[in-house]
Amino acid sequence: MTSPRALWLFSIVALLGWRLPQVGSKREGVSMSPEVLHCPNCSQLTLKVEFSTKVVEHEYIVVFNGYFTARARSRFISRALHDLDALVWRIMPRDNPASDFPSDFEVVQIRQALPQGLLTLQDHPYIKRVTPQRMVFRSLKFVQTPEPGSAAPCNDTRWTQKWQSSRPLRRTSLSLGSGFWHATGRHSSRRLLRAIPRHVAQILQADVLWQMGHTGSGVKVAVFDTGLSEKHPHFKNVKERTNWTNEKTLDDGLGHGTFVAGVIASMRECQGFAPDSELHIFRVFTNNQVSYTSWFLDAFNYAILKKIDVLNLSIGGPDFMDHPFVDKVWELTANRVIMVSAIGNDGPLYGTLNNPADQMDVIGVGGIDFEDNIARFSSRGMTTWELPGGYGRVKPDIVTYGSGVRGSGMKEGCRSLSGTSVASPVVAGAVTLLASTVPNRELVNPASMKQALIASARRLPGVNMFEQGHGKLDLLRAYQILNSYQPQASLSPSYIDLTECPYMWPYCSQPIYYGGMPTIVNVTILNGMGVTGRIVDKPVWQPYLPQNGDHIDVAVSYSPVLWPWAGYLAVSISVAKKAASWEGIAHGHVMVTVASPAENTSNAGGELTSTVKLPVKVKIIPTPPRSKRVLWDQYHNLRYPPGYFPRDNLRMKNDPLDWNGDHIHTNFRDMYQHLRSNGYFVEVLGAPLTCFDASQYGTLLLVDSEEEYFPEEVNKLRRDIDNGLSLIIFSDWYNTSVMRKVKFYDENTRQWWMPDTGGANVPALNDLISIWGMAFSDGLYEGDFAMADHEMYYASGCSIARFPEDGIVIAKTLKDQGLEVLKQETAVVDNVPILGLYQTPSEGGGRIGLYGDSNCIDDSHRQKDCFWLLDALLQFTSYSMTPASLTHSKSRVAPPSSVSEHPLPERLEGNHLYRYSKVLEAHLRDPKPRPLPACPHLSWAKPQPLNESAPSNLWKHQKLLSVDMDKVVLPNIRPYRPQVRPLSPGESGAWDIPGGIMPGRYNQDVGQTIPVFAFLGAMVVLAFFVVQLTKAKSKPKRRKPRVKRPLFLQQLQQQPHTGRTPSV
Amino acid sequence: MGLPTPILEPDVPMVLRRLLRKRWVLAVVFGLSLIYFLTSTLKQEERTVRDRTLLQARDPEHRIPWKVRFDLGNSSRQITQCRNSIQGKTLITDELGYVCERINLLVNGCCDINTPSSRQFVCDTCLLGGCCSVYEYCVSCCLQPDKKLLLERFLNRAAESFQNLFTAVEDHFELCLAKCRTSSQSVQHENTYRNPQAKFCYGESPPELAPI
Repeated sequence: MTSPRALWLFSIVALLGWRLPQVGSKREGVSMSPEVLHCPNCSQLTLKVEFSTKVVEHEYIVVFNGYFTARARSRFISRALHDLDALVWRIMPRDNPASDFPSDFEVVQIRQALPQGLLTLQDHPYIKRVTPQRMVFRSLKFVQTPEPGSAAPCNDTRWTQKWQSSRPLRRTSLSLGSGFWHATGRHSSRRLLRAIPRHVAQILQADVLWQMGHTGSGVKVAVFDTGLSEKHPHFKNVKERTNWTNEKTLDDGLGHGTFVAGVIASMRECQGFAPDSELHIFRVFTNNQVSYTSWFLDAFNYAILKKIDVLNLSIGGPDFMDHPFVDKVWELTANRVIMVSAIGNDGPLYGTLNNPADQMDVIGVGGIDFEDNIARFSSRGMTTWELPGGYGRVKPDIVTYGSGVRGSGMKEGCRSLSGTSVASPVVAGAVTLLASTVPNRELVNPASMKQALIASARRLPGVNMFEQGHGKLDLLRAYQILNSYQPQASLSPSYIDLTECPYMWPYCSQPIYYGGMPTIVNVTILNGMGVTGRIVDKPVWQPYLPQNGDHIDVAVSYSPVLWPWAGYLAVSISVAKKAASWEGIAHGHVMVTVASPAENTSNAGGELTSTVKLPVKVKIIPTPPRSKRVLWDQYHNLRYPPGYFPRDNLRMKNDPLDWNGDHIHTNFRDMYQHLRSNGYFVEVLGAPLTCFDASQYGTLLLVDSEEEYFPEEVNKLRRDIDNGLSLIIFSDWYNTSVMRKVKFYDENTRQWWMPDTGGANVPALNDLISIWGMAFSDGLYEGDFAMADHEMYYASGCSIARFPEDGIVIAKTLKDQGLEVLKQETAVVDNVPILGLYQTPSEGGGRIGLYGDSNCIDDSHRQKDCFWLLDALLQFTSYSMTPASLTHSKSRVAPPSSVSEHPLPERLEGNHLYRYSKVLEAHLRDPKPRPLPACPHLSWAKPQPLNESAPSNLWKHQKLLSVDMDKVVLPNIRPYRPQVRPLSPGESGAWDIPGGIMPGRYNQDVGQTIPVFAFLGAMVVLAFFVVQLTKAKSKPKRRKPRVKRPLFLQQLQQQPHTGRTPSV
Repeated sequence: MGLPTPILEPDVPMVLRRLLRKRWVLAVVFGLSLIYFLTSTLKQEERTVRDRTLLQARDPEHRIPWKVRFDLGNSSRQITQCRNSIQGKTLITDELGYVCERINLLVNGCCDINTPSSRQFVCDTCLLGGCCSVYEYCVSCCLQPDKKLLLERFLNRAAESFQNLFTAVEDHFELCLAKCRTSSQSVQHENTYRNPQAKFCYGESPPELAPI
């Protein structure tokens, strides 16, 4: 009779299970379902049920073999105790509705409990057994789980489950669960008062422009999203709806596209910016949030043909190596389509910028809340295209409201959403409105619009440029600038002040000195004069002599052609030799002239030119001692895209790709800050190990490196260490069986994805360190432990397989995660060597520190940091001070000998690392190292000294030329005063819905999910009743043959665990 | 062992209750719903697969109602204003089929035909299959009058996914601009070009797969 229940439950589970995996799909980065879906129970409070029992004296439960009436039961007991006259007993009255019905037990109070009394009771044929009465105490406890650890239990630990598909995969873990609420001030605040977000268009003072008669008319806006229903009451000028998906509908089944379109062009209720603009709806996402690059390509072509002016893309993904897509976006902007795109919802981690918002020709938009804090979810950090040799560009370009913004609901009405894909249409709407204010539309192009937006943006205090870009959108100032705009070139950022904190973080966090790696600032040139342009002659470096400009050397590299509308200008700054022991501030500027073919002059061959100055201000200090200088190896860090480089923490299955750049200014930012605050100077090596002067540095840091090593590098490093350079390696896991296990099918490329390395490339590292008799193993371990009074978590790391005998090795007890991944078995392994310290024997030789896991210094998915361990290792490598807490630890073990039982990891056969490697190249059988490339060589610009001084405040200098703010008069600009009133509790939910919006991340429409859940709930209730009914009806039936009944029960009792009656 | 379950007086009609109690009824209900569930999901899956392949395959039955008038771009006609390919990095193609450097573009949008670098109907970098490595040459080559037949044949057989695009195209020049762009036909595995060297095609077939 249990089968119907089981089947019903199965079918419900199947229904649920079928829906969920479909969520996380497609177009690079269309992200996965919200975190809540994956761990619905993941709150910070854990409910713990505890219970204790206590024997109640003198009371016994007498269990009969069958169901008998109260009278019969009493008769049985008195008969059983008949022989023992002395016994005082009574039946405890039970007063409940069930007492009228036959029962199979009785509670009896026996005053003098004699063993034989109980025995005689048990002898009675109808009495099955007698047990003491127990009282049960149940208590509920709310346990506060430590916050950083809260991610671990959230992730599914069953390894049998298939990893979800690739590109879309992005961080969904730590950022959203707690972060969203923080960003909106919900949990963080003591604030009872808060500005009620009225319509975002009004907050940005769009009504001023509306009153002037500008409403976006004549501007074609394309919304690339989930579609829009035909008769939505908010829109009056939907010109066209097209479908580019494989679903035969034009309507929005999710509400995302409607919301985005509403923010741009809604005309009633929650009003958009440009109600009269011409809306072109492109449906490129299915209701399952699936999308493919090829759909975008065709849809983009159509947008070009239709001569779209403004295009909003509230989507993004990490794959900037998707050339067809990136090229197509360039093609769009080259055809004068102003692209506005969301920067991503992967904050607060750095290195999380999404494509296409990270492109120079696209306006990348980040999110803030209504209190002008950067929204926690907003992606940030430099672009990672330029790594390892160069340095990332500044993105997002601007920020605007993206948290709790009101927009159109799917069918009607308004709703609130959060996410950078809310912020993106805010800017797209503003751009549309702005474009309609310009009388000469020829002047409006992707570059001029971006120039106007960033020149007018309001800088937020206390936020660096890699979070806020140029600041917060200011619609009216942008209007003023755009309406006095002359075609010209401009720079982003418009100046370089390496002393300005916090805006110019990370530059301001470390002064420059002679002998250090050159500091690179990657400036974007925006060219409003034409789609294509070039830099005339060469940029000129002009140091200010009165302000020590001659103390620095500057080298400049730049795009040969500025196309489309933009190019880069990378400025490398180094300290001149004469300032090796000088301390002070140096000024100068770089002057660039940009030329574009003139399209409006009558004579062919004419050019427009524009000259811009890039002020430079740096702080110079004397070169710090060698022991203070740490070199971070960037050259050997590989990441997604282009290949599949798996995450270092295998528990993070929602985000299997390592895509944050592995740079000290992206996901190793906290580590960098920690080292800086401890007085270390950290420099980045973006070239092979043969390209640095080891005598300058105390320690070389190799963290989580995936790349191979040139033989020359291996040899050079050996010599360097003999000569006193020290080495710290934070390795990670590498196990070929596990690598095969974590392959997954990527629906976007319709291919199986096999990782090309493990968390780190351990075989390559072993080649590097084998000379010292060291090696990492192919073991895979995980677990919590304590080391030197610090709580530690080992998240998918390897162990040390070999270590020299006179070294110090610390071992811990960990779980064998490899076994867990491969066989779903749990095994605890004692004495796993994870940390090794070694002093090389040669005279003045360096020291080596090894640790098997990098997760504890990486910002992504970190649970417990181990910066203290890095400190201890640096104390050891830099100052030869061996930390007593480690050397005298009980965990210290004898170093594993070279004949270890653990085999050393071999490179995964058939891996495609050579495709992405800078070191390997394809060869007939085995990939072979390439010839060692030449070290990068900077040609320093010949200075043209100036005998003048820099302006005192760099960032307030004019950002765009020939823009006179007073020329354009605005009628009746009233300063907007946000309406403030107490927040009533019921209200918050109405517009404070967490959940990002990049498709896949945003909230599902409440109106849509409720029926689904209601339906499922009804199914469960129905199933329950059906089971109850069948049960209830079958009971009396079974009771009829009394004789059989006890037998049945007895048998059942004897086999309590099998749950089946024996067939014999 | 536990208390006997109290029998509730049923408020469900007797017949229904009896019916629901029967194991086979439940089995039938469950079976039907399972069949419905499976067929609908499988059907959806199938449809998805079919739609995906439709993007590549061409349906011989279907004809898109194109309305391209090829005579508009006739070079014998005198025109004072030219449309051109707008986007080029260094080159640009005007609607007469001239390719020139951007710097030689006249204010009316036409190439300056008096400069030696301007040439008409250039097929440089174009392969036999009709795919070129430079977009501007693809457009220029496509504008050759003798390509008209090829384009008409393509339009008659174009995949449904291009319906939006090619029904909106009005003349030979617009058709060539649109046809030469990279599209869903140009990629394999979504994020790589079939042939990164010759990806702009005026011809009928997609670029040939380049060996990895």
